[in-house]
Amino acid sequence: MNEFNPNILAFCCNWCSYAGADLAGVNRLQMPPNVNVVRVMCSASVKPEYIFKAVSQGIDGVLVLGCHIGDCHYLTGNHRTAKRIPLAARLLGKVGIDPRRVRLDWVSAAEGEKFQQVVTEFVEDVKKLGPNPMKEVRF
Amino acid sequence: MRLAFEEKGADYLLATRDEHGNVAPVLLKKGDEPGTLRVDVPYQMAMILTKVNKFVKEGKIAVVARRCDERAIAELVKRDLLDQSRLNLIGLACSAEQVKECRCTDPCPSVVDFGECAEPSGDDASVARLLDMSLSDRLGFWIAQFRKCNKCFGCTLNCPVCFCDECLLEDKTFTPEKGIPPGLAFHLIRAIHLADKCVECGECERSCPVDIPLLSLRKMVSQDMKELFDYVSGDSERRSPLLTTLEGDPMEDDANVC
Repeated sequence: MNEFNPNILAFCCNWCSYAGADLAGVNRLQMPPNVNVVRVMCSASVKPEYIFKAVSQGIDGVLVLGCHIGDCHYLTGNHRTAKRIPLAARLLGKVGIDPRRVRLDWVSAAEGEKFQQVVTEFVEDVKKLGPNPMKEVRF
Repeated sequence: MRLAFEEKGADYLLATRDEHGNVAPVLLKKGDEPGTLRVDVPYQMAMILTKVNKFVKEGKIAVVARRCDERAIAELVKRDLLDQSRLNLIGLACSAEQVKECRCTDPCPSVVDFGECAEPSGDDASVARLLDMSLSDRLGFWIAQFRKCNKCFGCTLNCPVCFCDECLLEDKTFTPEKGIPPGLAFHLIRAIHLADKCVECGECERSCPVDIPLLSLRKMVSQDMKELFDYVSGDSERRSPLLTTLEGDPMEDDANVC
């Protein structure tokens, strides 16, 4: 009854990952219901600020999903993501929040199954990490 | 001081001098009375220079610059905020105590006009101590530190490489409008914005009225930049890796955003 149910935020890019999530839904693929999907126009519009704000307000995990490298609708948008997000995750590690709470992955519009797999894996990982320590902290 | 001014053939000199018992930056024209010029107190000239650059449109400016100023100026020149051809740098080497205080690893300017180069300081003990802690201890440490923050924006205002006209941190989306402390996100956002341009001058830590060890945080981020992209900020040649593609070409939109 008291099993920990993580609260996860997933930023999905409009052109690939959101369509991939859609496909996963249409195909009735089973996955944990802990993920709140936010549609963004490109994974590069996910500023590290959004991740920091979410984590400092007690979100247990942040998933950033974009098109595969080379498939970006805006040509080099996901190159920016690929450099930014690991840096942001490491910075979280430096102040004491497990960097594994942030995950970057590429899911194309045809990869409904990969979306399911990524979400299932990530929810399992975050369950192992336990609740976000920032939940208890009041500034 | 005069000598360097005449020799370098500049029209203006940006230096620090005694003003009412304090040390303050001053912009001198050719022929002005210099007063008592001082070089012993660290002062971020790059930050003053970006302000001066807005109203001094012509003529060369000679700047008394330490190694960190030099690197900050290189970062600003790369982003087209300063014109290198209008600048003349007068190299100033930090003393051994100053190097120790900043835990500086790169204290020697390219041209030394004043002082003698001190030995660079070795590994940073306080950073190593923080990295040895467990995650939860480290979080406890930083939360205790960030709780002291009273949102004075001193670290932002005195930062030589903070150049945005509209600061994201003044946006209420990321910083609560009312109440202090501003929370964890405030400092993390500043750290990530400075990731590719922080020159570790230590001005944020010096100007912090409540002594948050911001320089340690900056040093940890630049360690990451080095591990991930093999990039050290202050490089006058290489573009910031955050503004290039994975192959190292410039992005489509030539944005200078932070």
